[in-house]
Amino acid sequence: MLKFILKRLGASIGILFAASFLLYVLVINSGDPLSDLRESIADNRDYLMQQRSDYMNLDMPWFQRYWTWLVGVGGCFALKCDLGTNIQGIEVTGLLGAAASSTLRLVVLATVLAAIAGIAVGVLSAIRQYSGLDYGVTFLTFLFFSLPVFWAAVMLKEYMAIGYNDWMKDPSFSTVQIVLIALLFGFLMQVFLAGSIRRRLATFAVSAAFVAVVIPYLLWLNFFRYPQLGPAAIVVLSLAVALSGTAMSVGIRNKLVLYPALVTVGLGLVMYYATFSLLKEPNTWVLIVGGILSVAVPGAIGHFMGGRLRKTAMTVSALTGLAFGGLTVIDHIFRAWPGFLALKPRPIGTIGSQTPNFTGDFWETFLDRGAQLLLPTLLLAIISLASYSRYTRASMLEVGQQDYIRTARSKGLSERTVIFRHAFRNALIPIATIAAFDFAGLIGGAVITETVFGWKGMGQMFTTGLHAVDPAPVMAFFLVTGTAAVLFNMLADIFYALLDPRIRV
Amino acid sequence: MRVQRISKAVAVGAALALALTACAPGGGNAPSESATTSATSSGTNTVEPANSGLADLGDITTKDGEIKVTVGAPEFIGYNTNTPQTYSTYNSAIVDRVLAGFSYFGTDGAIYPNKELVSYEKTSDDPLTIKYTINPDAKWSDGTQITTADAVLAWATQNANMKNAKGKQLFDSVSADLGDTVPKGPEGAADSKEFTVTFKNPDPDWQIQSWMGAPAHVVAKQGGMSTAEFVDAVRAGDAKAITKAAEFWNTGWTTKPGTLPDAELIPSSGPYKLKSWSAGQSVTLEANENYYGTPAATKTLTFRFIDDGAMVQALQNKDLDVIAPQPTVDTLAQLKALGDAVNIQQGDTLTWEHLDFNFRDKAVFKDSLELRQAFAMCVPRQEIVDNLIKPLNPEAKVLNAREVFPFQDTYDEVVSASYDGRYDAVDIAGAKKILEEQNAVGTKVRIGYSAPNPRRTDEVAMIQSSCKEAGFEVVDAGDPKFFAPGGTQERGDYDVALFAWAGSGQITSGQNIYGTGKPQNYTEFSNKDVDAAWERLATSMDPAVHLAETKNIEKLLWDNLFGIPVFAHPGLSASSADVKNVRHTATQSQIVWNAEQWVRAE
Repeated sequence: MLKFILKRLGASIGILFAASFLLYVLVINSGDPLSDLRESIADNRDYLMQQRSDYMNLDMPWFQRYWTWLVGVGGCFALKCDLGTNIQGIEVTGLLGAAASSTLRLVVLATVLAAIAGIAVGVLSAIRQYSGLDYGVTFLTFLFFSLPVFWAAVMLKEYMAIGYNDWMKDPSFSTVQIVLIALLFGFLMQVFLAGSIRRRLATFAVSAAFVAVVIPYLLWLNFFRYPQLGPAAIVVLSLAVALSGTAMSVGIRNKLVLYPALVTVGLGLVMYYATFSLLKEPNTWVLIVGGILSVAVPGAIGHFMGGRLRKTAMTVSALTGLAFGGLTVIDHIFRAWPGFLALKPRPIGTIGSQTPNFTGDFWETFLDRGAQLLLPTLLLAIISLASYSRYTRASMLEVGQQDYIRTARSKGLSERTVIFRHAFRNALIPIATIAAFDFAGLIGGAVITETVFGWKGMGQMFTTGLHAVDPAPVMAFFLVTGTAAVLFNMLADIFYALLDPRIRV
Repeated sequence: MRVQRISKAVAVGAALALALTACAPGGGNAPSESATTSATSSGTNTVEPANSGLADLGDITTKDGEIKVTVGAPEFIGYNTNTPQTYSTYNSAIVDRVLAGFSYFGTDGAIYPNKELVSYEKTSDDPLTIKYTINPDAKWSDGTQITTADAVLAWATQNANMKNAKGKQLFDSVSADLGDTVPKGPEGAADSKEFTVTFKNPDPDWQIQSWMGAPAHVVAKQGGMSTAEFVDAVRAGDAKAITKAAEFWNTGWTTKPGTLPDAELIPSSGPYKLKSWSAGQSVTLEANENYYGTPAATKTLTFRFIDDGAMVQALQNKDLDVIAPQPTVDTLAQLKALGDAVNIQQGDTLTWEHLDFNFRDKAVFKDSLELRQAFAMCVPRQEIVDNLIKPLNPEAKVLNAREVFPFQDTYDEVVSASYDGRYDAVDIAGAKKILEEQNAVGTKVRIGYSAPNPRRTDEVAMIQSSCKEAGFEVVDAGDPKFFAPGGTQERGDYDVALFAWAGSGQITSGQNIYGTGKPQNYTEFSNKDVDAAWERLATSMDPAVHLAETKNIEKLLWDNLFGIPVFAHPGLSASSADVKNVRHTATQSQIVWNAEQWVRAE
């Protein structure tokens, strides 16, 4: 294994080295870094040119410039990186830090969301191969995949930012809109829930009617400006989770699982009131600890009350606890929303990672950051959704034809067990490679998204550098994305070997 | 099973409905839309300006509120804009609001004194001597008086004679000539409000010489000395004593992105002061409550770093109030689609496009005035302006001068004295006749420019098709390395160069372009009369002489056809309709030039 890793590492460094050389030569030959000064008639023009030449070592021959850069980078091994100075003489090392953190904030959430949603959609469409759902999902993911990013970004801003903000001033739906939304919702629900024609019709009718009643009711509540959940709704919703969790795992009459789940709901209600003032003005640590507790405590309850069905009881209780905790957080966010709207009447911005000079409490700041992150995250996630869902689908279908799946079925295992325990886990192995690739790619690939949404990230650094024929920032970008690509690939390989004993050498 | 599932769904739905009925309608009604703009604020200014300078707003107080502006994507760098690291129009757009200068450019490039800070008068023409009197009330925002010491610092930083141990200029500044042009620097007591400067040679551009920049008391303190000691050391030329202070000036204000230096290091002498900086996002300025002149009209001014492509939608979404995108037809169309919600500012800028004949060894036009004339006859200047510039600036005109612009007062006078309009209309027959006489039909003309530049490619294409009829074979010699060392321009492998000069408002800058052997005379044009006229202009302090010589030079350049001016580049910016006093400017100070006057209508 060690030999394998070392071999991979050696090859990777060689590739990086060769690529850096090629890129450097290409960048410095891509234009004239002094072009803007040549058309200037300022009296200090020659002096400025001289200064810029010094910063960029323009008086050196190209191989010497590359060598100077390489020596500076070589310093990284001695923990003293010198990535050179940019066209204005500013240290690139400092710029890189700011750019990288901005990009990471942008892409991490998008990648995680895309992976989860993509895999879920992929599994679903594999199970329902050649159904309307499968075709619909295939169509949509390919559509998303082929969207030009800059165009999609402009559309998102137009409808989800500007349009939404205009609508938010005085939320309303016309009757026609309500009918259309109800029909669409009903249609989608019957696609997802499937079944016989009669069942589809029933699902359609029930869900459409539901929406047709709920929207006017929400409008009457002024829900969009003053959303509310309240303890009653939280209890009802978590009870629903507890009951359906029990019903789906062991059946509703099994008290060993049902009781801990119900106890969890009760405890949640107590905690709701106990933590109310704390959660009104929390900090990140309170939320993290609270999140862990909301899973751990119900898990313990399940462990102690579950008896012989301990494992199932733990899962169901933990899930219920998580739902209750999540709903409590949503409740607090809802409570902060009117205050947030007063501070920021147009909630969704089109540019930047935060509103400048925004002064609000924890939840209001959270909403501000969230609103600014929403569109770029959505865009990035939608676009990488396709690869995840397609690969998962293909992988699931392939695994589904394996002998051991047939064996599992013929043993009489339930379809759920066959799919999730036997098929899905094995299907995930190739997905690991995609995820690694995707993450490495996203770090550098958010160029357009960053530009369009006004984030100063890695992509911005790359494009500005390239436009100015400024090799230092471009090479810094290359170093990070190149190293990430190589590193994540290697990790994927190692991970692969761990997951699948057959390819271990 | 089926029935069971449906009933479950119904049960869940019912429970949900139940939970929702526990709620009651929230809040009052949604806040009504903000009051519609009143009829009185239908204009774009609160006070109509009397000239191209700042309007007199009268006795106003700072209004609470925030105006958000962007001039482009580049990030803020630092408080001191005169180091090479920070020297950019984007950085100046912010710092110019904080550090006041002695003069500023009006919207047409005219120079106005900053009367709130200083009054000055020329006391002698030979040697050129100027007396400056700083406003007695003028203070830095930390309470320190603005005095001669600050002018001494400004002089020291532009003095190449002050060298460090390695023989490099002590202050790492973008300009380095004041030590030679004003050998003694500002003369006057360090703590006084009056000083005089004496120029070694006459300098018609003395008004834009910068005598006020960073705070001397801060630099002196960081250099471990008193302000008086610092001034003495500078005047004595004691480079060693001020090394530490100079080091601070060079690097002390340049901090990590997102962190401003300590507030005591960055006092303000202008209407705004730096308040906060969020890396990659924004810089916020707050009105300087100790400002001695007309206070800023709006309390908070936020600069955001936004790419052109995102500006219009951000304006529409009110994320921004004032934007200055690159002028393109698409951007303009998007802005127009926003209708009454925005005001659009259009107009010329001081950057102007021109075709320059190459006078170097192998070029076709080198020795033949006739061929140059023939070429000038077939260049479709009006068509170029109509097709490429008018869509962006409906008032654009063909440019018929090099030293003055159509939006300046003297333009008509200078043009009528120097140019008879003979190249206004394309004259194919005339050009053809000359070519035939010269036996030069089919002459190959290489038009060089820095590619890629779609507009210049279009221009060349238009010239190509027009001049083809006259008998020129125009070759598009656009090249990414046109200006690069060893590129087309340096080698001289072109017959006509197509590019633009970015004007700076200086009177004498043209000498470097048209004078024999001067650094920006790329085409190696040489004419004794032109050289002599420039010499007279540059050594005179009399505006009448400047005007007369400008006419003279323009006429000589037209008669000898140095080149052909084509058009002034268009500028574009836009503002929310409720933000008043946003005014277009032709200069490089950009749209923010009068940002302290911007105010939201009631």
